[in-house]
Amino acid sequence: MKAFFQSLLRHPSGRIGAAIVLLYIIVALLSQAGLTPYDPLKQFRIERLQGATLAHWMGTDMFGRDVLSRLMIGIGQSFLVAFSSVGLAAVIGTLLGLTAAWFGHLWDGLVMRLMDVLLAFPAILLALLFIAVVGPGTFTSILAIAFVYTPIFTRVVRGPALSIKTRDFVDAARSFGSSTSYILTRHLMLNLVAPLTVQVTLALAWSLLTESGLSFLGLGTQPPNSSLGLMLADSVNLMEMAPWLLIFPALAVMLGILGFNLLGDALRDILDPRMRRVVA
Amino acid sequence: MNYLIRRLVTFPLVMFGVSVLVFVAIRLVPGDSITAMLGTEAGLLTPEQRQSLAVYFGLDQGWFSQYWRWLSGVFSGNLGISVTYGKPVLDVILERFPLTLELAVLAMVIALGIGLPLGVFAATRNEKRSDLAVRIFAMIGQSTPSFVIGLLIIFALSAGFGILPAMGQFVPFLEDPLGNLSQLILPAMTLGLSFTASVTRISRSAVLDVLGDDYVRTARAKGAPKARVIWRHALPNALIPVVTLSGVEFGYLLGGAVLVEQIFALPGLGRLVLDAILQRDYALVQGSVLFVALNFMIVNLLVDLTYVMLDPRIRLGGRA
Amino acid sequence: MTYGFTRKLLGSAAIVASILVATAAPSFAATLKMAWAQDATGLDPHKQTAFSSIRLLELIYEPLVRLDADLKTVPAIATSWSFSEDAKTLTFKLDPKAKFHNGAPVTAADVKASFTRILDQATGAAARANYLSIEAMETPDEHTIVFKLSQPDVPLLTAMGSINAAIVPASEIAAGKIGTQAVGSGPFKLEKWEPNARETLVVNSDWAGGKPGVDGIEIRVLPDENAILAALRAKQVDFALLNDPLVATLVPKVAGLTLNRKPVLAYHVLQLNPSRKPMTELKVRQAISCAIDRKDILDTALLGEGEVTGPLTMPGYRSDPSTLFCYSRDVEKAKKLMADAGYAGGFSATVIAATGEPPTAASEAQVIQSQLQEIGIKLDIKLMELNVYVDTWLKGDFDMAVALNGGRADPYSMYNRYWTKAGNLQKVANYIDDDLDSLMQKGRVETDPAKRREIFSAFDKHLAEVSPWIWLYTGYSYTAQQQNVQGYVPTPDGSLFGISKITLK
Repeated sequence: MKAFFQSLLRHPSGRIGAAIVLLYIIVALLSQAGLTPYDPLKQFRIERLQGATLAHWMGTDMFGRDVLSRLMIGIGQSFLVAFSSVGLAAVIGTLLGLTAAWFGHLWDGLVMRLMDVLLAFPAILLALLFIAVVGPGTFTSILAIAFVYTPIFTRVVRGPALSIKTRDFVDAARSFGSSTSYILTRHLMLNLVAPLTVQVTLALAWSLLTESGLSFLGLGTQPPNSSLGLMLADSVNLMEMAPWLLIFPALAVMLGILGFNLLGDALRDILDPRMRRVVA
Repeated sequence: MNYLIRRLVTFPLVMFGVSVLVFVAIRLVPGDSITAMLGTEAGLLTPEQRQSLAVYFGLDQGWFSQYWRWLSGVFSGNLGISVTYGKPVLDVILERFPLTLELAVLAMVIALGIGLPLGVFAATRNEKRSDLAVRIFAMIGQSTPSFVIGLLIIFALSAGFGILPAMGQFVPFLEDPLGNLSQLILPAMTLGLSFTASVTRISRSAVLDVLGDDYVRTARAKGAPKARVIWRHALPNALIPVVTLSGVEFGYLLGGAVLVEQIFALPGLGRLVLDAILQRDYALVQGSVLFVALNFMIVNLLVDLTYVMLDPRIRLGGRA
Repeated sequence: MTYGFTRKLLGSAAIVASILVATAAPSFAATLKMAWAQDATGLDPHKQTAFSSIRLLELIYEPLVRLDADLKTVPAIATSWSFSEDAKTLTFKLDPKAKFHNGAPVTAADVKASFTRILDQATGAAARANYLSIEAMETPDEHTIVFKLSQPDVPLLTAMGSINAAIVPASEIAAGKIGTQAVGSGPFKLEKWEPNARETLVVNSDWAGGKPGVDGIEIRVLPDENAILAALRAKQVDFALLNDPLVATLVPKVAGLTLNRKPVLAYHVLQLNPSRKPMTELKVRQAISCAIDRKDILDTALLGEGEVTGPLTMPGYRSDPSTLFCYSRDVEKAKKLMADAGYAGGFSATVIAATGEPPTAASEAQVIQSQLQEIGIKLDIKLMELNVYVDTWLKGDFDMAVALNGGRADPYSMYNRYWTKAGNLQKVANYIDDDLDSLMQKGRVETDPAKRREIFSAFDKHLAEVSPWIWLYTGYSYTAQQQNVQGYVPTPDGSLFGISKITLK
């Protein structure tokens, strides 16, 4: 474990990526703990649409709310959605992939055809359809993103699981009388950790991207709460009058995704140097 | 069973699954197409008016018979009538498709035209400063959502030059080539930029891989000039992952780019689907999503075929 | 290399810029190039409810009378009219020059056939309820039509000014062709209609109302208002209809473009639901009214693009807002009212709003949320897609609702559905008292304009005081035009009929 962190820090993009992600996590935690410069919902309506000042480092929006505070809360919100949805997708996807590989036959066929159906949609379209059914909101975006990403985890897990299943050490463990669930968790998981870790990091980047897109369309986080996508959507008609409303959230989105992408690249290099292909 | 044959056999099965999923999903959405069409004025409808509208759009029947009617229609090319547009769904889709197709093609041309040479260049300059610069550009490009790029482009143009690209109605290429290009070049660049980054990264690492292979080293040892080795040996092999990736990306783009279409106010497939969902236009959602999914699957199938053709060594049986 | 790429990017932007400039050739043809965001949804004037349809049909069809820029009744097909003493007979004289697009003259028989169609339940006419007092029609000669009413109905005359009461040829009704072919008597003929794409109108040179200033109109449907602005900037469009105030405010910044503002009848309102606790309490509703700063919401959500209003929004009846109950914010009074009602500690409620309809709804809800917080009311905002919102709204299933409701030229026609005991939207309003109902009934039968104004002024005052809803402000309707467009006069009902007076220089 120590060796892993050392090699991560030695990897140039790993270093930068980890630093960015760490910074964002700190900002997210600070914002959730209420440690923003101002209450992000507080409307100083007399000071609306001001550029950067000493009091408001990133200016104020059309309600006179502090953009920096909203940006911090927005990052917290985006991370909440990203981590929950990817966590959910990873757990469900792994379970489906493992059971499909393990039980095979009808169950395998059923699960994988269902995943084929889900993968036959472009991702954002599937998310839109899902949100249309359940209604917009933070919780829905978590479910929608998890829903879209589950088939990818299922596939990522099933392949290696299938090849490990036929290997001797699993058979050996089985003949020693180990229970099915013990074999599943112990042996298979160990051999899946590498691809899963890489996939999780990339999924986080994708999830941040999708969350901001959905909120931009008005289908994710709902006002008065803040999210990066929503801040961008609100800036569209005001961009000539108040460019800071566009620039800061745009940079925040870019930097966040960049952090996870860099980290994902480094993890791939360290954990699995053979795996060069970018997965969806 | 051969992988390709299996893909072909499961194709209709998956399409069937897609059609059921879409059909059920849109009907679970709260609200119906009549209130969606009339807004608050729907409150002024008498029960009889409501009923006659429902009969007209076939909404008065059970789900199963609606589905059956729709499915049998699909095979005769009849996807139903759109409530919002008042004309056949297929016509509406085919009106929107040229824009989406052209946008996808332009974005691909931009991405491959810039990304491929850039990737090859970076590979030959491995670990030099210019390589690093290309890689940083690629990383940033890949990390920027296309709608953010679009917003920044629009902002730069309108704040810097006081102009906006002609948005709104699609200008077909054959009617007005210049107008068409001036309308689509910015959205295409927006869409193409993040894919340019991917292509750069993939082609760079693919060329690097190939340059390390034995036969290329042999060719080099035999005294073949570097440029020749790259163009004759390295590039064709490096193309394989680029083709795969391009196929997948093209498939996505054919589904319409909701966000970029929204920002540039272009009437493409992506916004059609979004609006159809918002308007509860059942027939249109079903038809357009089926159309998009079909495109997506066909392109993916073609990608797999190309894959086999480019590299017969690959045994596809193991992939699933 | 990165530098080189940036240069390339800027280079292509410059090329694009030059292309944009090259295609922006000004037009001197007498065809008005127009754009709007929403297209008409049908051609049957009697059945259309959507504003977008009505805007188009007003150029093609004509009602008996029309409403001018001050919403006064002026001649259209009818040249004169009169009520009998008891307000139970209404007689119109028709313009003998009026002709349909097919060349046939407009006769009393056509008027009778049109109203018979509107009143026929099977037609499903949108505004049928407004004409139910018509008991019989008589046609003493070709150019006279007499309406016999079952009860006095003064608002009927204004209601006749709606395109929902357009006169169509009796022959077309008999042939069942209304809605498939647009044969009207208005200033323009519909030549081509591609739904959601474009309309082509040509001038009707036989129009009895005079000769329109342009030879034709090309209308493009650009579903996004930013796109309309772009088209105006590129001079691809002479004249455009805009809805989003944030887009409209950008128009005057573009050299050569003029923005026309006209206060509209539709009003932004915070609807309370007086059937739900604690809005059942008069004092709680009044406290909310006192805690709301209408001007502040207007300045924030609409960037000041509108006018604070009471319940009545039409020019002839609008009262000075400062005379209405608590129209200047008074937080102390609000707090006291809350305490008197037993809610000193405040309460929680949910406010619903539709996403994007109006575009400012979400912003309004957020300012209201912040204002009401000051008297301890904790509002939870629930944004809904329009059709989900409409369903919820029609069921009256909300604590509070941010809404933009349509207005009518006559106070009675505007509010009878909400504030009379028999109103068909009583379950949305959820409040009625004897005063409101009796004032409405009095206003319906009063023929003297001054007395009517007095009655409705009392109605206005009372409604603001019992505060079932918190009326906020009216926005503007916007049209944008190039310098070569002249003579356009906007009206408060948002009609684009003024286009018939436009000339192109």
